[in-house]
Amino acid sequence: MSSSNLQKKLIQIWAFVYKNWIMTKRNVFSLFEILFWPVVGFLSVGLLTDFLKLDANMSGFILIGIISMSVTQVCQIDVAYVLLYDLWSKSMKHTFIAPVYPFQLIFGSWLIGVFRSFIVFLVLSILSSLAFGFDFLRPGIGPLSLFLLGLFLISALVGMMVCILVLLFGYKADVAAWSISSLMALICGIYYPISILPSPLPEIARAIPLTYFLEYFRTFYGFDAEMKGLLGWGFGLTAAYLMIEAFLFKAVLYRARKKGVLIKLSE
Amino acid sequence: MALAIQAEGICKTFRSGWRGQNEKLVLKGIDLQIEQGEIFGVLGPNGAGKTTLLSILSTLLLPDRGKVQILGIDGLQDGHRIRERVNMSSGNANFLWSLTVQENLHFYGMLYGLAGKKRKAKVRALISLFNLEEHLDVPFDRLSTGMKQRLSLAKSLLNDPEVLFLDEPSVGLDPSVSIWIRDQIRSIQKEKGMTVLLTTHNMREAESLCNRIAFLKAGEILTTGTPEALKRMVRMGDTIRIEFKGKISEEELLRADGVINFSILDNLCEVIVDDGEKRLGPVIAIFYQSGAQIKKVSLGQTDLEDVFIEFAKETDSDMGLRL
Repeated sequence: MSSSNLQKKLIQIWAFVYKNWIMTKRNVFSLFEILFWPVVGFLSVGLLTDFLKLDANMSGFILIGIISMSVTQVCQIDVAYVLLYDLWSKSMKHTFIAPVYPFQLIFGSWLIGVFRSFIVFLVLSILSSLAFGFDFLRPGIGPLSLFLLGLFLISALVGMMVCILVLLFGYKADVAAWSISSLMALICGIYYPISILPSPLPEIARAIPLTYFLEYFRTFYGFDAEMKGLLGWGFGLTAAYLMIEAFLFKAVLYRARKKGVLIKLSE
Repeated sequence: MALAIQAEGICKTFRSGWRGQNEKLVLKGIDLQIEQGEIFGVLGPNGAGKTTLLSILSTLLLPDRGKVQILGIDGLQDGHRIRERVNMSSGNANFLWSLTVQENLHFYGMLYGLAGKKRKAKVRALISLFNLEEHLDVPFDRLSTGMKQRLSLAKSLLNDPEVLFLDEPSVGLDPSVSIWIRDQIRSIQKEKGMTVLLTTHNMREAESLCNRIAFLKAGEILTTGTPEALKRMVRMGDTIRIEFKGKISEEELLRADGVINFSILDNLCEVIVDDGEKRLGPVIAIFYQSGAQIKKVSLGQTDLEDVFIEFAKETDSDMGLRL
C-alpha cells in the first residue's frame, strides 16, 4: 500500500472519530451516558456493598463488575452509534456510497468509544478509591491495561453486533444497542461467580470472553480462578468472534445492497 | 465517445411480507448506454422505478439480473472502485442533524479520503459555489429545504466525481430555487465535463437540463432520445388556437405547409402544426386572406409531459411503441 493510499485509509477512519465526537459534543444526553448513569449505578452498588457490610475483597469483586459493565456499555454504544446515527438521520446511503470499508467504520467509532469509556473508567476508579477505598491499581499497570484492552475489544464485538442487527432489521434493532451488553453482563457474572448460575448459563458464559477478563482481574483481589488460561481464552475468543463478525458484517452489507435496505433506511 | 454508464437487462424485484411472498417487479430488463459528458435524464411518474435504477447504477443496490458497467468497471464485482469515482445527491436530502453545514462537508470529505488542506480548500470552494457562507455554522436540522438541497449538491461534488447521480434534485423546492439549482448543475457539468444521470418526474427540468432522456414507466424504458427527437417521434405538433369571426378557407388551411390537422367548433379553430412558432404567421395570413376577423390567438407548444403521456398511452394500448 502506497503512503498516500495509507493516508487516505487513515483519514477515512478518522472521519468516523470526527462524526461521533461532534455528535457527542452536541448531545447533552451523551454527558449522561458517560457520567451520570455510570456514576449513579456505581454509587448505588457501592453503597449497597457498604450496607451489606461486605469485606474489602468482596466489595472489590462487585465494584470490578459494575465498572467493567459501565466501561463496556459506553464503548460499545459508540461503535453502535456509527450506524445508529445514520439510521436516525436517514443518511445511511451517503455513508455507503462513499468508498469506505466496514472495518474503517468500526475502527473509527471504536477509537472514540475507547476514549469516552476510558474517561468513565478514570472517573469511576477515582470514585471507588475515594468513596469505598477500593484500589483499582493493585494488580499493576500491566494487568490493568490487559483487562481494559479486553473490555474495549469486547465492546467492539457488541457494537459490531448491533451494527449487523441494524443492517438486518433496521429500526427494530436499535433496542439491541442497550440490551446486548446488559444481557452479557448478567450471564458473565458481573456481581457473582458464574458457577451460581443455573445450567446452561455457565456454559454459555464460558463462550463469552468477558467472563475470562472479569475472572482474570478478580484473581488479583484474592479470588481463585475457576478456569485456566484466562487471558488466552479471553483474547482467543475475542479474536475468533471479531473474525466471525467481520465476515458477518460483510455478508449483511451485501444482503443490504441486495434487498434495498440501505435505500429503505435512508427514506 | 466512451461510455460512462452501460446497463444491460437489469431486473429488480422487491419482496415483502412473511417469507417475502409479496413480490413487486420494479425493473423489467433495463438497457441503457450513456456517454461520458452527457446529462441524461430518467423521467417517469412516481413508482416507475427511477430511484431503484439510480440506486443500482450508483452501487447502493444490487440487481437480480443484468450487467452494469460504470466508467468501464463492473458494478457487480467492483463497486468499491466505482464509489471512488462517483457521487450522489438526492432530493429531500438527509444528513446528520447535529453537524453544521461545514462539519457535514468535512465529514463526507474525509470519507472520500481528502486530507487537511485539500479538504479545507474544497469545502471552502463548494460553500462559496452554493452560496452557503451565511449558513456555515447552522446545524443541518435548522436549514431550510433549499439550503439542505444545496448542501446535498455540495457534498456530491466533494470527490470531483466523474459520474454524478442526481435523484429528483429539485423536489419540494420553490420554483426560483429549482431554477437556481438547475443553473448550477448545468454550469458545473459544463465546467467539469462530468456525466450526470438525473431522475425526475418534472418534465420541464428534464427538458431544460438533459441532452437525452429515457421515459420510464412501470419498470420499463418506453423510449430514449433527445427532447426534440422525442417530440418529433410522437408527431403531436403544437396547437395554434384562433378565435375568429367570419369564414375561412378550410382547403387552404389544410394545404398550408406544416399543418397536420385542424378542427373548427363554433368560432374556435384549433390548428395542429409541426412547429408552432414557424407556422403561426402563415396560418394567421390564411385567416386574413379568407376575410375572417381574428379576435384572439394563442399557441400551445408540446412539452415533454405531453410526449410522455402519449408514449404511456401507446404502451398501455399495446401499440408496440417501445423503441
